[in-house]
Amino acid sequence: MISQLRLKAFVRRPPVVLASLLVLAMIGFGVVHRLVNRFGEQKKALGRHLFQQSQADLRHSRSDYAVDDLRAALDYNPGNFDYELTLARTLRDTGRTSEAESYLIGLWERDPQNSLVNLAIARLYARQKLPEKASQYYHNAIYGVWPSDAQAMRRETQLELIHSLLAENIYPQAQAELISWSSALPPDPNLHLTVAGLFLDARDYDHALDEYQMVLRHDRNSVQALAGAGESAYRLGRYRTAQRYLASGLLEHGRTPETTQLLETTNMILDANPYARRISSREVSRRVVKDFRQAGVRLSECMKEKNIVPESSAKLPSLQKKTDNDKSSATPAPPNDLAALYQRWLALKPKVTESRVSAGNSLRDSTIDATFEIEQQTATACGAPSGLDQALLLLSQNPTGAER
Amino acid sequence: MSDPMVTQIQTPAEAGETPTPANHTHRIAWFSLITSFREERFFLLLAVFIGIFSGLAVICFRLAIEWTRIALLGPLPHAHNVRLLIVPTLVGLLVSVLVIHVFPLVRGSGVNQTKAALYIYNGYIPFRTAIGKFITAALAIGAGHSLGPEDPSLQIGAALASALGRGLELSREKLRLLAPMGAAAGLAAAFNAPISAVLFVIEEVIGRWSAGILGSVVLSAVSSVVVVRWFLGSEPLFHIPAVAFVRPSELIAYAVLGITGGIAAVVFAKAIGYLRPKLRDLPRYTQYLQTAAAGLMIGLIGYLGAPQVMGAGYNYMDQALHDRFPWRVLAILAGLKILSTTLSFVSGTPGGMFAPTLFIGAMLGGATGGIEHYFYPHLTGSTATYALVGMGVLFAGFLRAPMTSVFMVLEVSGNYSIIVPVIVANTFAYLVSRSMQPIPIFDLLSRQDGLVLPSLEEQREQTILVVEDAMRVPSVPVLHSADTVQQASLRIQDAPEDTFIVQISPSGWNLVTRDTVKKLMGEGKGEMTLLSALPIRHLPHLHPDMPLDTALRYVSHFLLIPVVHRADLHKLVGIISREDILKKYQLSGIEEN
Repeated sequence: MISQLRLKAFVRRPPVVLASLLVLAMIGFGVVHRLVNRFGEQKKALGRHLFQQSQADLRHSRSDYAVDDLRAALDYNPGNFDYELTLARTLRDTGRTSEAESYLIGLWERDPQNSLVNLAIARLYARQKLPEKASQYYHNAIYGVWPSDAQAMRRETQLELIHSLLAENIYPQAQAELISWSSALPPDPNLHLTVAGLFLDARDYDHALDEYQMVLRHDRNSVQALAGAGESAYRLGRYRTAQRYLASGLLEHGRTPETTQLLETTNMILDANPYARRISSREVSRRVVKDFRQAGVRLSECMKEKNIVPESSAKLPSLQKKTDNDKSSATPAPPNDLAALYQRWLALKPKVTESRVSAGNSLRDSTIDATFEIEQQTATACGAPSGLDQALLLLSQNPTGAER
Repeated sequence: MSDPMVTQIQTPAEAGETPTPANHTHRIAWFSLITSFREERFFLLLAVFIGIFSGLAVICFRLAIEWTRIALLGPLPHAHNVRLLIVPTLVGLLVSVLVIHVFPLVRGSGVNQTKAALYIYNGYIPFRTAIGKFITAALAIGAGHSLGPEDPSLQIGAALASALGRGLELSREKLRLLAPMGAAAGLAAAFNAPISAVLFVIEEVIGRWSAGILGSVVLSAVSSVVVVRWFLGSEPLFHIPAVAFVRPSELIAYAVLGITGGIAAVVFAKAIGYLRPKLRDLPRYTQYLQTAAAGLMIGLIGYLGAPQVMGAGYNYMDQALHDRFPWRVLAILAGLKILSTTLSFVSGTPGGMFAPTLFIGAMLGGATGGIEHYFYPHLTGSTATYALVGMGVLFAGFLRAPMTSVFMVLEVSGNYSIIVPVIVANTFAYLVSRSMQPIPIFDLLSRQDGLVLPSLEEQREQTILVVEDAMRVPSVPVLHSADTVQQASLRIQDAPEDTFIVQISPSGWNLVTRDTVKKLMGEGKGEMTLLSALPIRHLPHLHPDMPLDTALRYVSHFLLIPVVHRADLHKLVGIISREDILKKYQLSGIEEN
């Protein structure tokens, strides 16, 4: 009896109580550890199974089922990065952008340097036509951490960014990205041909021409390079160079309707250019007169189109004072400008003969100026011209560089 | 009351052991170690163990629910699956048999039962209740009944703590304190949110702020959360992207959400409050069928296309927070969840209301946010933001625990950037709910059960009387200790009262009666100062802001108590007597009635 009381008193001592509780807690930890592990494995297996099922669904274009499977896989394996990323990508690709964004931003907050996540977000924003945000995440992806083959992935991502920028007509940024991208390229003609095409799309014609020329140094008969170089030179206003590439390299093969059209326009420009080198003064006068007459026809057609009746009292505009900015203005020329131009053309018309033009430089220059001014004003008022008028308009934009 | 644990601390000699020279030194060290275990330290350590055991139990409970769900409903429950109809019905039948015949105390959520244990049963919760709650709630929730695991976790924790206390033969007083400790630990483990658990236990279970128990409650809650995080990771319950709160004008949108949530909370509470007694009044044999019928109806909702309302629904809340559902679907889900949870709860199915409340709040918040976005597309808060705020809104409106609701949102999301909208919306929800439904849901349920338990909300409503309310400006002269007895006699000559305050220099107060002064004059001590003539006695003083209860402790010993300024103890701002206090209490009672 006494020993029982002693035992009872002993076990009720705080240290003994605490020690007993500690032992119980340790046993509890052991049991729960086993349970959690076992159930965790079971859940992970379920998650894996559902994930695989989702991949099969995706392969068979059953995106809705795949999304359900992925959601369930994530329930069984919460926080699994791959599952969550795949779910977000699938949601994005099935048009559920706001849910995809929510998951992707959550992943990004967990691992902001992960390039796969940044790329997925960039693609989401590119799809949503949010180029600024897309660019930000494309850059994050380019400079982030890739799981493998980082260099190739970075190149591909930057190329994707360039395409995305071009799709949104953001040319200056696309040009900058292209310059950066092309600087690290190996000397592979095919790659440079791609770059040149992208430069052309990005309206960076200088770089495009350089790249095409680089390709042509390796293969001077490359049809694509010749066409591209021709177009680049044409866009730069270097029509002699354009003619060389478009005509000489594409004589029999590889000529497309576009290149044919470019060549025709180029030829017309070069034939109409009164500033051409190595032509006689007679030829210059002939070209000036011909261009002037053509401009007159264009002007009267444009005025007819706009229902403008020529006014005898209209004052002549000070043509020489027009700046480049004024020329490129998108505002259509007011009717009285066209009328004044017509008055100017009428005033010049009796003087502009081949003999009088060849006799004096000042008449030649003022005639050429009037011709160019008419083409520019009518283009603004009546839209883009074609044929010789188009050639004269292009020539007016870069008269001295045409022979390059 | 002596604490049994203190009496258990015995010296080796007391324990009947004979000290020997060999182990004498060792015994002295052991003795000092034993004696160092003072009552408080032991209790704090006990709180840690309660937290650990509650955490372990709650982990097992969560595993049991998940395992049951996978086993019974399948890993990927879809609408139009006949399992959704059969499983909740049959399990409902089984659960009702268990509740009626084996575990009669496990009906309902468990919060009121824990509160009743604290206030009525001296902290006694049978261990059988913990087992019963574990089994029946795991079965019901796993089978798709629209209830949550948090309130049962709270009750399981409380029951474990109570069992531990009884095993250690703790005093009734200590036993009473263990239940809230276990409750906090259980809830903290279920939510992975220690602050919310502590606040909820204070707001709803203990019903008052008690500094004495706060430390132990916090300790047990924290230790249970540590255990849960040890095994299940420290991720918050929901993963949501960082929420930006941009323009203060958007608080109007959140206020609208608060009002909507408050109304929804009232509808939910009124539905439960109306249906529960009706179903309980039905013949006894129907009790067997009620849970099954509720299961069938919930299963039907799931079968027809909304399996989201089945079970606790945490995964669907997470999906709502990730903008999965359009606002129309969210609104429908909120309505269906109110219906299904009402059915489950009023049928007596064991399970909690926390998760359904969060679910309804998330869906309602998302729906309200979606509608607001429809009309005002410039609002920056995403649907997820509104869903998150909505959780707290319904928590504040339905469970009427405003502080818990704010911290709960922050803890379950791990996102502190949304605190201002949460506070604004929750306040509106709380006010709307309180104005339309004066009795909080837990109080309503306990009254339906015939129990009257204290609540913090009621205490908040009560006016606390302070000394200032009862004191009066002294109408009689204040004497000074330097006055002679004769001077004092002259000054009190025409005074209407018989007791006077004496200010002692340099500090302190004393009392003198007219009779004493007369007696001293009769004894020829007229030239003596009051300081030397009166017996030295320290008269306590009060301050105007002190509770009137405190004053009541002194007035039985002293006829008059001086009320002095806190910044200047020489400045008498009033006096107070027993009559003044009783008069104030009397008036206060009349005003309240």
